[in-house]
Amino acid sequence: MNYKKYFPIFKKQPNLHYLDSGATALKPQVVIDKMVEYYTDYSANIHRGLYPISERATEEYELAREKVAKFINAKMEEIIFTSGTTDSINLVARAMGLKKDDEVVVEIEAHHSNFVVWQQLGKIVFEITKNTKILAITHVSNVLGQINDIKSIIEQARKINPEIVVVVDGAQAVAHMPVDVTDLDCDFYAFSGHKMYGPTGVGVLYTKAKRQLEMEPAKFGGGMIKTVSTSESTWANGPEKFEAGTPPIAEVIGLGEAIDFINEIGFEEIQKHEKELTEYLLEKIGEINWIKILGSRENKLGLVAMYSDDPKMGTSHDIADILGRDFNVCVRAGHHCAMPLHTKFGIETGTVRASLGIYNTREDIDELIKGLSKTWMIFTKK
Amino acid sequence: MDDLYKEIILDHYQNPNHRGKLIDGIEAGEVNMSCGDSLKISVKIEEDKIVDAKFDGGGCAISMAAVDMLLDKVIGMKLTDVKKMSGAEIEEIMGVELTPSRKKCAYLGLEVLKKIEI
Repeated sequence: MNYKKYFPIFKKQPNLHYLDSGATALKPQVVIDKMVEYYTDYSANIHRGLYPISERATEEYELAREKVAKFINAKMEEIIFTSGTTDSINLVARAMGLKKDDEVVVEIEAHHSNFVVWQQLGKIVFEITKNTKILAITHVSNVLGQINDIKSIIEQARKINPEIVVVVDGAQAVAHMPVDVTDLDCDFYAFSGHKMYGPTGVGVLYTKAKRQLEMEPAKFGGGMIKTVSTSESTWANGPEKFEAGTPPIAEVIGLGEAIDFINEIGFEEIQKHEKELTEYLLEKIGEINWIKILGSRENKLGLVAMYSDDPKMGTSHDIADILGRDFNVCVRAGHHCAMPLHTKFGIETGTVRASLGIYNTREDIDELIKGLSKTWMIFTKK
Repeated sequence: MDDLYKEIILDHYQNPNHRGKLIDGIEAGEVNMSCGDSLKISVKIEEDKIVDAKFDGGGCAISMAAVDMLLDKVIGMKLTDVKKMSGAEIEEIMGVELTPSRKKCAYLGLEVLKKIEI
């Protein structure tokens, strides 16, 4: 099945070989239309507007919350809209009142969004003890592509410390596999709209109901209050308490549509399609002897970081430049916001990352391979 | 032949003239970790003039070739004149036009030289 027809960018650029869905996914027409519809038909602010277009905007906004909740098996009140994964994780750190001597267990493979905030506001450690306040883990690594068995990690962690607060970065998971936060039993689950065929500027923080009661607001302003007097204020209940100011209304509604898009194709089909392509990608890269793959080939989503250990073959930057300029193959070069991981592997000049989405085909991978052959020709002066 | 990775650029990348470190040189450095470049340049200065220079570090072919070609050019020049050089001159030395993201790579060497203090 070729899903390119749902994505208008391919009408304008039929030869675009987009292998950077790990950074951001392309947008299907339905998502774009849904956002344009908001701006053209009912572009009003949400909540407390006592006129029809505001009522409609509020309904669509809250409907998106319901869709998100169902999508990850949560309750609607447990879904807070943020600006993205980074914003979601920062919200946890601030709303849970993290202090400098609070221990946070992080992973070396973490994206900087699930690392730097803990380093700056708490105390990073690498082992879970009775004193650990927060466990910050990654569902799918944005460099290795590996699916971590976070359910058993969470179970083990709770045996050591039943009070541990578990924060999951799900940014690379949600578009590619079903996620059930209730089954995982995490306290927080963060992800971005734009990596799941939705718009930029919107993200989600799932907050387990019990934990939400422990959270203090991290932003103050309109929309998040119950009462305000000259001397004090009280806070709204539920997710609104954390959504101060006018939220990204069109983006939230667009995200709801992106979820419908994913559900319509279905995870069974998405996983089948992407698994088949991942196997093809790994097979083809495996045939190139000067390219090495970072991490294991097992249990991998369609995300592969590669590098050359031959110092005369250029770095990730050179390879990505040649792929982009000469083949319109879009990959990412560098550290992919995971410098501690690259340092651990001793790859200071970064890796080239190819990541798949539902629109990819074998032809995209063939072009990548052609580009890598050309890179080899250039650097060996053949 | 690629428009950017011309033979002369590849030669400077793969077989640089100025790789190393001057033991008694004045040193400056810069990292551009988002793309994995790190560069140190050491220079020897006599009567305001750069009489020798070497670079060390790792990075993409463009950043490494650019610094090697730049050092070819600046040895014999006054440091004050080197500090007046612009990015456009780097592209002139290299004989290529660069996209914005690659300018960052190619200008790294000049940035480091501008940090040299006598």
